[in-house]
Amino acid sequence: MKTRTKQYKQRVDAALATPKLQQALHQFGDAYLLAREKAFEGFDFEQLRADVAQMKDCVLVDRQQLQEQFIANAEAAGARVFLAKTAEDANRYIADLVRERGVRLVVKSKSMASEEIHLNRAIEKTGAKALETDLGEWIIQLAGQRPSHMVMPAIHMFKEEVAELFSKQTGREEPAEIEHLVQVAREQLRQGYLEADMGISGANLAIAETGGIALVTNEGNARLATTLPKIHVALVGIEKLVPTLEDAARVLQVLPRNATGQQLTSYVSWIRGAVPCDGKAKELHIVLLDNGRGALAESDKCRDALRCIKCGACANVCPVYQSVGGHVFGHIYIGAIGIILTAFYHGLDKAAELVRACIGCRACVSVCPSRIDLEGIILHLRETLGDEEGVGAAKSLVFRKVLRNRALFHTLLRTAAKLQKPVTRGERTIRHLPLFFNSLTEWRSLPAIADKPLRDTFAAIPQQIGKPQYTVAFFAGCLNDFVYPEMGESLVKVLNRLGVRVTFPKKQNCCGVPALYSGDRETATELARQNVEALLAGSPDFIVTTCPTCTMALQRDFVDQLKDNPAWAARAEELSAKTIDVARLIHQYLDAGDVLGEVAEKVTYHDSCHLKRGAGVWQEPRALLEQSGRELVEMAHADRCCGFGGSYSFSSHPEIARRILDDKLHDIEQSGATCVAMDCPGCLLQIAGGLDNRRSKVRARHTIELLAESVGKG
Amino acid sequence: MNETNLIRTFCDAAEAVGAEILRPAGSEQALGMIRELATGPVALPAFPSGERLGLAAGLAGLGIELLTGDLRAGAAAAALGITGVNFALAATGTLVLESTPEPIRLASTLPERHVALLDPKKIIPDLVAATPLLRQFHQQQPQNYLAYITGPSRTADIERVLTIGVHGPKELYILLLEGLSDDPLEM
Ligand code: SF4
Repeated sequence: MKTRTKQYKQRVDAALATPKLQQALHQFGDAYLLAREKAFEGFDFEQLRADVAQMKDCVLVDRQQLQEQFIANAEAAGARVFLAKTAEDANRYIADLVRERGVRLVVKSKSMASEEIHLNRAIEKTGAKALETDLGEWIIQLAGQRPSHMVMPAIHMFKEEVAELFSKQTGREEPAEIEHLVQVAREQLRQGYLEADMGISGANLAIAETGGIALVTNEGNARLATTLPKIHVALVGIEKLVPTLEDAARVLQVLPRNATGQQLTSYVSWIRGAVPCDGKAKELHIVLLDNGRGALAESDKCRDALRCIKCGACANVCPVYQSVGGHVFGHIYIGAIGIILTAFYHGLDKAAELVRACIGCRACVSVCPSRIDLEGIILHLRETLGDEEGVGAAKSLVFRKVLRNRALFHTLLRTAAKLQKPVTRGERTIRHLPLFFNSLTEWRSLPAIADKPLRDTFAAIPQQIGKPQYTVAFFAGCLNDFVYPEMGESLVKVLNRLGVRVTFPKKQNCCGVPALYSGDRETATELARQNVEALLAGSPDFIVTTCPTCTMALQRDFVDQLKDNPAWAARAEELSAKTIDVARLIHQYLDAGDVLGEVAEKVTYHDSCHLKRGAGVWQEPRALLEQSGRELVEMAHADRCCGFGGSYSFSSHPEIARRILDDKLHDIEQSGATCVAMDCPGCLLQIAGGLDNRRSKVRARHTIELLAESVGKG
Repeated sequence: MNETNLIRTFCDAAEAVGAEILRPAGSEQALGMIRELATGPVALPAFPSGERLGLAAGLAGLGIELLTGDLRAGAAAAALGITGVNFALAATGTLVLESTPEPIRLASTLPERHVALLDPKKIIPDLVAATPLLRQFHQQQPQNYLAYITGPSRTADIERVLTIGVHGPKELYILLLEGLSDDPLEM
């Protein structure tokens, strides 16, 4: 194992052993969602974020011209503008200024860009002192740490720790009461503004139309730091450029709402040019920072990340972030966007572990106010990393030699079904695995590979159906085929009753997601071809799925993988258009009303990440369950990831997956339901395994199985 | 939205973020309210509607110690800072202060209490409606420091607990007084 990986694993373990931190981040995540919902009441979030995304995309196209316009206007207003290509350039410019002007004290308001380039270090090398004045930043400066959140830098610290730091500073015993501590900060930092020779700020917006910047803050320190000292340096990432004041307003409408659930922050300061300061004109320097942003703009697959307005929401809702915090799941920038920015601003090597730590649940994508497909970009970075560092010798051999060769892959699975006998003792679940695999069954039982896969038994399933309304091809996916073949039988039973004939194209292979998510795009593309060929063969009306991850592969990934290949692109599109998950098929195209008999059962529903946020399906299965007479009770966080994530829970991050599963099991049990339904065999493996391990009375089922039970009664 | 609704929306929103709304019947009562709040010296920068109201003379007449001039030395020692308001945003309870003159910034930032005088005629709907005015400010003057102020200073940086008054004012009073000014470009 690489030293880098080893150190990273140690940090993960340490974070997972800090329940207090996890509890704080979980509570924060809950409170955040409520506040956010309230803040957006009466607004159309989808529309707002579409507008922001569109505006930011225009900025990307016109960036050269906008930058020139901004500089010209800023200079006309008396600012000096410096273009810093790299972090070193920016640090050198500011440090030189500090030296030349004989600055002894610099007061800083919060700036992630300054964290990004380690500006404080550069300032202190000149002999001057840099004083952070944002409360959170000051706390972590005193603690000698780095921010663990972009908006709330000290979110990982507790009041007792803060009291200790402050006591050292004041030489008094400061009680650990929040209000008191805030007052201590007020008094301690006040003198700083009055004495400082230079104030440094970031900027949330740089407006080309005016040549001015805008600062979005709550504490008031930025107002003081940009008013009292005679020199003001604003360090501004070039992605903060917006064309007009209207565009600035667009960002302001979503930024505070999405960051902290505020309608607006306490202060928005619009500063243009050399404003008056102590009877003279202020000396204003604007340092426009590139540091990798230009390269990001050039990257087809990743450039959308430049739309980011740094609201921090992608971390707030992230189950991985909530489990390990920003010091582990981040470098300087944290959370989903942090992974991407780290790769471009600090190097792919610094991002390598983080790229793999994303579980792919897309919670971030659903709240991002700039509509960035964070998961898609992270996936791409994983591929790039796969090319750079390799996918891992054993894995890549499996992908190349086994997965691509369907016959071999399936023979191996059949063999495995026989070989596992000693551990399963003839049961359908595995509670203990031998030796080093043991850690995988210590927290969840695993289902055994079925004696006979669905592909072998399918032909024998009787299909009693006269003149079918539709003929559909069933894409089972590996789990449904080899682990849960009975799910396929349920599907046939229900669909037959609704007048649909089901076929099973035998040449279907793995959807390729395990390879794709591990960074082996080549194997994934080969599998895409095999499946397009197999599934379109009989010209079915639909291709129906029971696994939303497969659905995403068929609907989205295949199209992307084959789009540059004229022989395949159109067929991939056709497959994409015909693919539908079984719940939506029944709900939208068939009438299940008379067929479903009443089952008295209290059921709760778990939204699979890829079904809800990938395919947009979440109402349909709920409606079907209610049609079957079941009482539906909602669990808390129904659409939070269960921690499966395919190989995420098996090989890359089983410890984090386990922590996320614990949260899910807790929510299920709290709901009071006796059954939890879901529409994903992966989630089922994870949740059923967890419940079994706890000896829970709650049963876990795929929705199609529950519908099959009802059909039996109808 | 008509004027009454704008005022109501503004007051609700401002109170929701912790500002206090005061509605004196006339200028005399307004001065009295300020005196109640002035537990020490008052930072009073120059602004047109304040001059029209005769604030300086009125407050001095009530025996209040006034700090005027550039305020760089004085404002930190003031118990209270008084400013006008150019206009306000109903939806968010926001005050917009054209604070390019440094004393306006100091009086609204350093003291623990900030009293802002607002003519209710100058309440407009929201951020979006403010943009044309923002542009006019930028066209009027070569340099600008414009401030949107929404409630008192706040932080949630320790254990995410909302705490009021970290670096800026701990208390924000909005004094609604008719007849101050109906020009949003004027404070
Ligand atoms: S990526 Fe989106 S959600 Fe994350 S910080 Fe940026 S704007 Fe916010």
